[in-house]
Amino acid sequence: MIEIVATPESVAQAKALLALGVDNLYLGEDYFGLRLPHSFERAELTEVVALAHAAGKKVTVAVNAIFHNDRIVHVLDYLQFLASLKVDQITVGDAGAINLLLENQVPLAYLYDASVTVTSARQINFWAKHQAQGAVIAQEVPYEELKMLAPALQVPGEMLVFGATAIHQSGRPLVDNYFDFVKAHQEKSDRKRGLFISAPRKPETHYSIYEDRNGTHVFASNDIDLMPRLDKLVELGLNRWKLDGIFCPGDDYVTITGLFIQAKNAFENQQWTSALAADLDAQLHALLPKNREVDTGFFDIDPSEVQ
Amino acid sequence: MSRVITNKPEVLVPAGTPEKLKVAIDYGADAVYIGGEAYGLRTRAANFSYDDMAVGVAYAHEHDAKVYVTANIVAHEGNTDGAGEFFRTLRDIGIDAAIVSDPALIEIAITEAPGLAVHLSTQASAANYETLNFWQKEGLERIVLGREVGIAEINEMQKHTDVEIEAFIHGAMCIGYSGRCTLSNHMSQRDANRGGCAQNCRWKYDLFEMPTLGDQDSEIKADEAFSMSAVDMCMIEHIPDLVEAGVNSLKIEGRMKTVHYVSTVANVYRKAVDSYCADPDNYELKPEWVDELWKIAQREMSTGFYYGVPDQDDELFGKRRKRPQYTFIGEVLAYDAEQQIVTVQQRNNFGVADTVEFYGPSFRHHQQVVADMWDDEGQAIDRAPHAMQIITFTAPHQSNQEIF
Repeated sequence: MIEIVATPESVAQAKALLALGVDNLYLGEDYFGLRLPHSFERAELTEVVALAHAAGKKVTVAVNAIFHNDRIVHVLDYLQFLASLKVDQITVGDAGAINLLLENQVPLAYLYDASVTVTSARQINFWAKHQAQGAVIAQEVPYEELKMLAPALQVPGEMLVFGATAIHQSGRPLVDNYFDFVKAHQEKSDRKRGLFISAPRKPETHYSIYEDRNGTHVFASNDIDLMPRLDKLVELGLNRWKLDGIFCPGDDYVTITGLFIQAKNAFENQQWTSALAADLDAQLHALLPKNREVDTGFFDIDPSEVQ
Repeated sequence: MSRVITNKPEVLVPAGTPEKLKVAIDYGADAVYIGGEAYGLRTRAANFSYDDMAVGVAYAHEHDAKVYVTANIVAHEGNTDGAGEFFRTLRDIGIDAAIVSDPALIEIAITEAPGLAVHLSTQASAANYETLNFWQKEGLERIVLGREVGIAEINEMQKHTDVEIEAFIHGAMCIGYSGRCTLSNHMSQRDANRGGCAQNCRWKYDLFEMPTLGDQDSEIKADEAFSMSAVDMCMIEHIPDLVEAGVNSLKIEGRMKTVHYVSTVANVYRKAVDSYCADPDNYELKPEWVDELWKIAQREMSTGFYYGVPDQDDELFGKRRKRPQYTFIGEVLAYDAEQQIVTVQQRNNFGVADTVEFYGPSFRHHQQVVADMWDDEGQAIDRAPHAMQIITFTAPHQSNQEIF
């Protein structure tokens, strides 16, 4: 059973995604979760959970920030709030939050999500022994490694099939510090400003960069699009597919999600063909924001090419 | 009777080679950390074979010092093969602890090499006391804090945990949360978390808005390029805060650094910690300690996150604000006290009429002008231009300072 996980940017978009047949909504507030399209405060979150459950769908809440003392003191209360809403799953990447969850026996299932560091089955299985119900696999794991990783997993692994890949988190306000130094352009460094950086002598690259309360975030130059490789995920049993809408707002994100739901249905009805994959992928490309490009990331890379 | 601190924090110094291990200990390190031939993040450092480790451990233990081995990669499939044997061998050699980040390797070390102490690496970005307590329950003896943790936060942690705390106090730093960065993977196909970091954060980037692909808005472009390059950490001026916060181990970065660096940081921090603990109420920071650290500085220095979130002065923008004025010119191999002749192995070009400074353990220093110079065949020369060249020159004995 393939599970489509989508990241709503509003209550209205959550409704649209549910209407489309999304299986799982992934959202949260940025005090506790990382790199979300929208920070859903408790009232809004409550509304989305009710909508999802009424539709027979699941909700996963992001509790995957790196916590310092000042925030870890609020985590248990938040976990208990999520449990009271009967949130289906949370993501966690800080062992301190897992400590609170387990010590207090909070009735919440968690997926281990420590961003770029989740790179082996043995690591994921370590968290499975600590009651993790799954894990979010890092984008830096190529297919040739997934072939070894997936069969060894004791709990399901989630794959990003569409959207931006985070490749750096700093605790420092790197953009504001730069603006302070050059004494210019100081008005905004948030995600809505749409800043990019390009590498030296590679003007064609465009790594998104922004700041929020969790620090500075940098994303890979191209977003992920695994539409052309979905058959390989199915073959490996990696059936939890996340579409991250952080840089793909509005109706186009909903429509793209619909393309992956079509793909899911085709697999489940044994109707997946390379022609359908090409057709859906062409539609996806036409829907991309004007300033985003996609590729398959590390999926096709020969592991021996990475030093 | 004035206050004395007997429970002194450990001064933990990097040792990239067996030679540096000895130097670090001779100059006052309580402990050193080294890399093995696998599982570590400094694949380009000259790492230790098991035989090297055994020799190093023997030397360290004779001098009441400890040796830790870093095994802090984040493993991909296949990378943990043989790790159990590796950790058991460390234990049997007498290594005092392994420094590990990946939960997979932590589990292997704890379950397959019982008796080997395990420390959580800074790569795991531990930043709150619940995280410390989680890993303590898993059997870890010590946590190396994330470099984003401040003094006030350490003080708060101490109210909620009794696991040992180690903190970086000197050296180069990641600009991001360590471990949470794959800039190098994506820009250079080198895995930052498996020893391949290409330090892409220190590159000079263009920063721009781009409403449409290819249409970069150049308005933001300033004379100074965007970068994400941290200045180095230096906590020499804040030893009292670190000791009073109960930090068990004061860690210095730099397994790739020179003998000059290793000897200097060990010397300076040994002196500062001993001085504070001997008489904390009358402690004074000595300006010469700060001067010594500037001699080995490669960048400007700051206190990182210890007293707040770093601003633009904690990053490298624009021109260098202060430059080291010293060059390491050689290592003293021998001193003939009767003839007052010193034998030196050259590391950088120097010669007659240059002012040189000798330094040794226990913070001994002495300056002189080089007046004469001979090569290893006794021929008089003016300069020593060759790396590792052995030369001699007159070094008048200092009656008040046993420098050699």
